[in-house]
Amino acid sequence: MSKHRQDNATFLERLIFNNRPVVILLCALVTVFLSYHALQIRPSTSFEKMIPLSHPFIQNMIKHQNDLANLGNTVRISVEAKDGDIFNKEYMETLRQIHDEAFYINGVDRSGLKSLWSPSVRWTEVTEEGFDGGEVIPQTYDGSEESLNELRSNVLKSGQIGRLVANNFKSAIVDVPLQESYPDPDDQSKLVKLDYQKFSHELEEKIRAKYQAQNPNVEIHIVGFAKKVGDLIDGLMAVVAFFGIAFVITLVMLYWFTWCIRSTISVLVTTLIAVIWQLGLVRLVGFGIDPYSMLVPFLIFAIGISHGVQKINGIALQSGEADNALTAARRTFRQLFLPGMIAILADAIGFIALLIIDIGVIHELAIGASIGVAVIVFTNLILLPVAISYLGISKKAIERSKRDAVREHPFWRFLANVAHPTVAPIVVVVALAGGVGAFFYQKAHLQVGDLDQGAPELRPDSRYNLDNDFIVSNYSTSSDVLVVMVKTAPEGCSTHMAMAPIDELTWKMENTPGVQSAVSLVTVSKQVIKGSNEGSLKWETLARNQDVLNSSIARAEGMYNSDCSLAPVMVFLNDHKAETLKRAVKAVQEFAEENNRDGLEFILASGNAGIEAATNEVISASELTMLGLVYAWVAVMCLITFRSIPATICIVLPLVLTSVLGNALMAFLGIGMKVATLPVIALGVGIGVDYGIYIYSRLESFLRAGLPLQEAYYETLKSTGKAVLFTGLCLAIGVATWIFSAIKFQADMGLMLTFMFLVNMIGAMLLLPALARFLINTEKLAGKAGGSLLAH
Amino acid sequence: MSEPVMRRTQSGQAENLFRSLQSPLAKTLSLCTVLSVLAFAVAPVQAESADQPAAAYSIESAKAKHSLLVDVSRAGKRLVAVGERGHILYSDDEGSEWQQAKVPSRVLLTSVYFVDDQYGWAVGHDATILATQDGGANWTEQFRDIEREEGAPFLDVWFKDRQHGLVVGAYGALLETNDGGASWEEVGDRLENDDGFHLNAITAVKDAGILVVGEMGMMFRSADGGETWETLQSPYDGSLFGVLGTAQPSTVLAYGLRGHMFRSTDFGDSWQPVKIEAGRNGLQVSLSGGSLLADGSVVVVGNGGVVLKSDDDGQSFSVAGRPDRLSLAGVTANAQGNLVLVGQGGVRVASPTGLNLGQQ
Repeated sequence: MSKHRQDNATFLERLIFNNRPVVILLCALVTVFLSYHALQIRPSTSFEKMIPLSHPFIQNMIKHQNDLANLGNTVRISVEAKDGDIFNKEYMETLRQIHDEAFYINGVDRSGLKSLWSPSVRWTEVTEEGFDGGEVIPQTYDGSEESLNELRSNVLKSGQIGRLVANNFKSAIVDVPLQESYPDPDDQSKLVKLDYQKFSHELEEKIRAKYQAQNPNVEIHIVGFAKKVGDLIDGLMAVVAFFGIAFVITLVMLYWFTWCIRSTISVLVTTLIAVIWQLGLVRLVGFGIDPYSMLVPFLIFAIGISHGVQKINGIALQSGEADNALTAARRTFRQLFLPGMIAILADAIGFIALLIIDIGVIHELAIGASIGVAVIVFTNLILLPVAISYLGISKKAIERSKRDAVREHPFWRFLANVAHPTVAPIVVVVALAGGVGAFFYQKAHLQVGDLDQGAPELRPDSRYNLDNDFIVSNYSTSSDVLVVMVKTAPEGCSTHMAMAPIDELTWKMENTPGVQSAVSLVTVSKQVIKGSNEGSLKWETLARNQDVLNSSIARAEGMYNSDCSLAPVMVFLNDHKAETLKRAVKAVQEFAEENNRDGLEFILASGNAGIEAATNEVISASELTMLGLVYAWVAVMCLITFRSIPATICIVLPLVLTSVLGNALMAFLGIGMKVATLPVIALGVGIGVDYGIYIYSRLESFLRAGLPLQEAYYETLKSTGKAVLFTGLCLAIGVATWIFSAIKFQADMGLMLTFMFLVNMIGAMLLLPALARFLINTEKLAGKAGGSLLAH
Repeated sequence: MSEPVMRRTQSGQAENLFRSLQSPLAKTLSLCTVLSVLAFAVAPVQAESADQPAAAYSIESAKAKHSLLVDVSRAGKRLVAVGERGHILYSDDEGSEWQQAKVPSRVLLTSVYFVDDQYGWAVGHDATILATQDGGANWTEQFRDIEREEGAPFLDVWFKDRQHGLVVGAYGALLETNDGGASWEEVGDRLENDDGFHLNAITAVKDAGILVVGEMGMMFRSADGGETWETLQSPYDGSLFGVLGTAQPSTVLAYGLRGHMFRSTDFGDSWQPVKIEAGRNGLQVSLSGGSLLADGSVVVVGNGGVVLKSDDDGQSFSVAGRPDRLSLAGVTANAQGNLVLVGQGGVRVASPTGLNLGQQ
């Protein structure tokens, strides 16, 4: 290192090590302060943060939010009769009790509550005098055979089959609309915001558990946004337990690595401090913890441990020569502070690149993670050596590292063969073939978006998704809805000029592959017009008479807004695969282009499928930019560090290979490119480059010392191989526990990150030296003083 | 889904027209123009007002056979069904495969009638009358007037031969042609229907004349092919949706709301209710369409998937309720004697009693 830089380092070193008590005290104070804030952090599942707010679809949705109010925030409780059908006394009684029970749950919009037991659910019939009708369950209902028969015939006439009653008559639904905020039961003048978790728990206790126990012949299925969010928050809480598991595994591994209880504890404590600081700071910035940013503490923990391990490794080596712990700690600080900083900068930039993706949760994840790695500079690069300087490292550990330094390592010796002139080409060719194969595989198979049926956030076999399957297969309904908003002049939505094109759009959509059905006010209008023409099918079409049209939609609640200037067309899709969404969106856009005119506009989009379509577009658009940025930055970092293009290639190529393999794995496992997996690649590359930097810097120093490549690589492995291996395992363990999360995308993230961390490590250990065989001119390096930033 | 405009031009006239337009000028013409020229060239469209643009062609769709279809008829060996969005479908294999005809209309078509295996007419909303001369594959517009009673529908059509036909419809519409539909004349004032009640159906009665039924139990008959009409004493004051001549002379059935059906053996002079055995309360659903089959049996269908069949010229009926309960509006039989049913959910072939095939 140049004189100048050493002075700088020494200044920082002096500043820290001459004021050790102050450093400890300051850290303690900050920790106390931030712990206080960290404890106040709350789960936040703000809907808006999970969607790309600036996408035109979402902007349109927000603009018309009030017009589309209550379009969908309902929970549906389906009560299934396990034996027989719904037409028996006990079943109907249970259904009634569930209806009443739901009525009294806080947050329920009681006026909209609907089941067979609601007086508003009626049957109608055309007679000579006009319409005849009545309540589906009449006042005279008494559960007798006769009244059950009457009920059966009323249900058939009610048009509720497929809606409130399953197509096979084996279950019926209680439709529970919700209010986002409702009057406080204790103080009617105050409004309480609906607590989804609490609401979801109440459904479980007061409805599912209670009535399944009370009537063993019923099984209850519950779906709806509120239930899903409740389940998500529950899943989020379960993840906290994973942190404990990761912590224990790491503790055991750390001890196995160091054989020193003092340094194990020091590393764990300083890393925990990093996590506390990160959480506290995130809270101070005003963020909560959501299912995505939940990942950050795990990552910070893993990154912190891996830096800590390198510190301990260094101090143990230095302790062999130094006479006391303080000197060893100072020397290690001097030696490792700069590479540590560079690695952390690389990590941070991986996170910052995520800001490209215009989705709130990803922004918070990026900012939270950047804060976290910055914190590691203080805790693991500064506080840890200071702490060790007091505590020291056990004699046993020091002796072990001394022995290791001179002992022959058959495994590393064997591994160093990858740099052998005949083995290296094989390794490179295999890697290249694997990379090219994986590239074409992922190109053919990798899809954007969520690929599973049901709620993509939850596992396909979760209770929620099983319930969802039940309802989708037994009722005429789909859980994937794309809403097209049709905008007209006020009072214009019921004109023939608006309704005829809406009708055409409905038909066009129904003819689009992947669309099950499409429903709009026209659907209702036609039924009413038919009804007022004595039920004759020959009249089931739009009229041209304005009065007829007006009265035909009078009862089509929720199918248009208050001043009849906006009418949604609800397009029910088979699934939410990217291709399905894209096709449906394209069909609407084509139609809009042909039919938009003054006073009639077809606007995308709302509904869960609309949001997913927007999200997919944002992801497709930002994926390449983000990858480009990450790789460009990593390459620049390597260039600055090593001042060598071949070295940069040696480090970056294995990362590219891992990214491609990662994509192929996603394609193979049927995981789509989505909000949750996009950060994985940035994180994988940003953190994965650490291995390469670490290995190459050592390799270069041995090459400079004049060793031939294979020998230099053996020495590299001997001194850092174990630390690299350990780092990889630490990172992998930190995130691997996520694979068991109840939340599907967390599991996907955990799986992908584990894969990225491990494969990046293997790539750095096997491919980097093999590439060096071709790219690095060892003769030129030998004996030359380094221009590299990290030269010792 | 695609616009079928360029797809099928089997009709000789249309092909000739396209061939004769193979000039640079023709290429500059938009497709729309070509088609409207086509429409004007092959069909006299007297009722077409100048400011009324040519109707768009119905959209070809694989789902058309599952869309709402309200009438089905035989054109020789061919089956032809009509319904919403200008859908006209035909089948040359007794109902298993259906092709979509080229139709210059997107309205709900309510009725179709063939005088032989070539010449047929269909009517529908927006006062639309369509005609075919190739057994239902290609259709042209003969009449359309969206101003007429705000586009109120024509509801039934009957032709005596290739020249002479009658159309009935909403608000007392009665139109007559004596030139195969080249010109249509409004003859509604020949009936005593001052309140303009809907005329729902028209039929020929063997060896007697023609009979029209409508709203409020209205009944009219004509023994001279529609020149003069006589108002009948109706047995019912609810709507009658259909009327059907049987194989016996002067014998006719009229049916409508809530399962009401009446039979006359004297061309409407006197009517007897037909008792239909269906549960405690009797048949409660509307009967909307029917057919006299080749073997002389009579089939009537209605809402809620009900299918009535009579082998004694309508004196008594067997009743079948289809399990899907989808409303039916039209029926005919295929060569195997199975029923071809249309209504909600499109067209399906059912057993001779009306139940699903293979479900007996």
